[in-house]
Amino acid sequence: MSGIEILQIWVAAFFTLAIFSFLYKDNPLFKFGEHVFAGLSAGYYIGLVWKSIILQQLWYPILAGEWLLVFPAMLGLLMFARLIPKISWVSRVSLAFVMGNTAGVFLISQLNGMILPQMQATMLPLVSPDGFGATLMALIIVVGVISTLIYFYFSKEHTGALGVTAKVGIWFIMVAFGAHFGYTVMARVSLLIGRVYFLYHDWLGSFYQIL
Amino acid sequence: MRRVAPVIIAFLSGFVMVISFCFSPDKTVLGRIEPKLLSWVTIVGGFTLLLGVVSITRVNWQGVRRKKEGWGYKLLTLVSVYIMAIPAMLPSSWSPLFGDAEGSIYDWLFTYIDSPMMGTMFAMLAFYIASAAYRAFRARNPEATLLLTAAVLVMLWRIPMGEAFLRLFGENVPGFINTYLMGGVNAAVQRGIVIGAALGAASMSLRIMLGIERTYMGKG
Amino acid sequence: MNIWDRLARLDRRWIYLLVALAVIFPLIVPTTFKIHITPEARQLYDAVEALPDSSVVMLTFDYYPSTLAETEPMSIAALHHLFRKDCRVVTVTTIPLGGPSIAERVTRAVAAEHGKVYGVDYVNLGFKYGYVAVLKGMGSSIEAIYPTDNSSVPLSELPMMRSIRNYGDISFIYIVSDNAIVDYWISIVNAEYATPIGIGVTAVSAPKYYAFISSGQVTGLLGGMKGAAEYERLVSKEAMAFKGMAMQSLVHLLIIALVIAGNIGFFAGRRAKKRTAA
Repeated sequence: MSGIEILQIWVAAFFTLAIFSFLYKDNPLFKFGEHVFAGLSAGYYIGLVWKSIILQQLWYPILAGEWLLVFPAMLGLLMFARLIPKISWVSRVSLAFVMGNTAGVFLISQLNGMILPQMQATMLPLVSPDGFGATLMALIIVVGVISTLIYFYFSKEHTGALGVTAKVGIWFIMVAFGAHFGYTVMARVSLLIGRVYFLYHDWLGSFYQIL
Repeated sequence: MRRVAPVIIAFLSGFVMVISFCFSPDKTVLGRIEPKLLSWVTIVGGFTLLLGVVSITRVNWQGVRRKKEGWGYKLLTLVSVYIMAIPAMLPSSWSPLFGDAEGSIYDWLFTYIDSPMMGTMFAMLAFYIASAAYRAFRARNPEATLLLTAAVLVMLWRIPMGEAFLRLFGENVPGFINTYLMGGVNAAVQRGIVIGAALGAASMSLRIMLGIERTYMGKG
Repeated sequence: MNIWDRLARLDRRWIYLLVALAVIFPLIVPTTFKIHITPEARQLYDAVEALPDSSVVMLTFDYYPSTLAETEPMSIAALHHLFRKDCRVVTVTTIPLGGPSIAERVTRAVAAEHGKVYGVDYVNLGFKYGYVAVLKGMGSSIEAIYPTDNSSVPLSELPMMRSIRNYGDISFIYIVSDNAIVDYWISIVNAEYATPIGIGVTAVSAPKYYAFISSGQVTGLLGGMKGAAEYERLVSKEAMAFKGMAMQSLVHLLIIALVIAGNIGFFAGRRAKKRTAA
């Protein structure tokens, strides 16, 4: 391991431990790391926009003759009018262009790509020719989807048949949320494992190199 | 005019995307406009990333100028922003430290300072979830008991030790958990939520295109 | 204050210490376990294995640096699998903070192990803002959205990209993600262009995508570090995720013990209070 590599690991370890120090209590070391993190993240965006949008999507193509790109460049600059209260209304043009476009794509994609395929997959034969397992699965899916949708329908009071179905929905939802919690625990622990792995193997490993 | 023009632009911009779904990109004019329009959206939308940076600079600079409490940290934030940004914007032909390639200041700061800190902030959640598990997760009623039971079963199933333990009760137990709990009950609930959310998203999209929903425009 | 009250008021830093010890112990006493492969992980592996060699696969790096521990092992294992099959890989990211850097670093490192050449065997397209427009736009023309690759080289100058115009020229999309972008890959790309999609997601998101597995919209699912470990096992490249299972096991058992202990304390304390009141 070269001197630069060891320095890199030590810098990363320093900032890792600075953030972990918050677990004991808030302290200046944590605040130092926190503010450096906020600044570097914002600085990362500047570098990214400069390269991927201004240079790659505007500057080089315009120099190559694609003059139409001046229009989206102007629309992009109009976004900054939002920061000046007197002319902030100008930024609505750019926002409307982006929001309208996204809404148009969403309208079709949500219907075509989410609602219809999911509903189609729910339309299962309740008595399956593939045996008891498939029949049980079909019942679980159909009852589960319908009772969940009914539970989240709050425009009518949950009484009578609606109330019973909503109650079944709650039971399904509790099991699903419990499973989700189990997975969430796994996710959080995995992230901790990643950082501890770095500290143990890379940082403590560099001690052997130094000694 | 200040509110009508954006509504018309939003409608036209969305309408082109809706009807282009039905037209071939190779054979129709509308189909050929669609990729151009989408590339323009990526350019225009990209400038919004800089709005946040301008805002962070303004807020922190005001704090430094007025020597508000913690102004030293605000100065640190500002310095960090531009130590990261300025070398990234300079041509890499001037020095390998400039630009964003591997070995540049930009890449180094991200890889060895920003990225480890981001990972550590999220890693701390493991401690908080353990603390919450001890203090807050109570089987106060049948529903909560059901939730906790499902959580414990899944936590056991997802670890090799736990899976081996579950197999003591039957070789197929982990398979049943995967098939009937995750692929059955969980999938059904998630599907219900997905359908509901998609209906909401589709209706909100229609409202934006028709100008009924204008909150994205802000005040005035 | 009785013992149950004292236990209920236990300083949370003792719990943090227990968690830290549970993570560190398996590092000092290394242990590995047998990992059973779930049907969903097997489905993803088989789908990639069934691709003809030299197929074009789009691999996405749709994750933030905060979830590297779960997602980076998936990306690495996926790249080993794809390069072993001589697939041509196009990498793309919709994540502004760190996505392009991570994609560049990981892809180049694994490609070097397999002797793959940039521009011929793999290309990194980088990031463009507006994931909806990007996903939809690549259906018509990848070059309209990405006129250059991440290093500002025009796509026309990259041999591999001359024959790849849009999703029609891509055999499979392998998504590794830590957020809801997967929903848009499914609803925009898979629904409209019928390109098969396989996903590796963080454990937080994984339960949601069982609904898409059963609807056939997604071919295979890796969930969290366990999913990454399964895929590492399948491609015979056991690495961090595989080794992390020991630590994962111990902490899970600790948390289950804490839930049980917390509930025992709660009910015992409640009973003690009722007796005192009576």
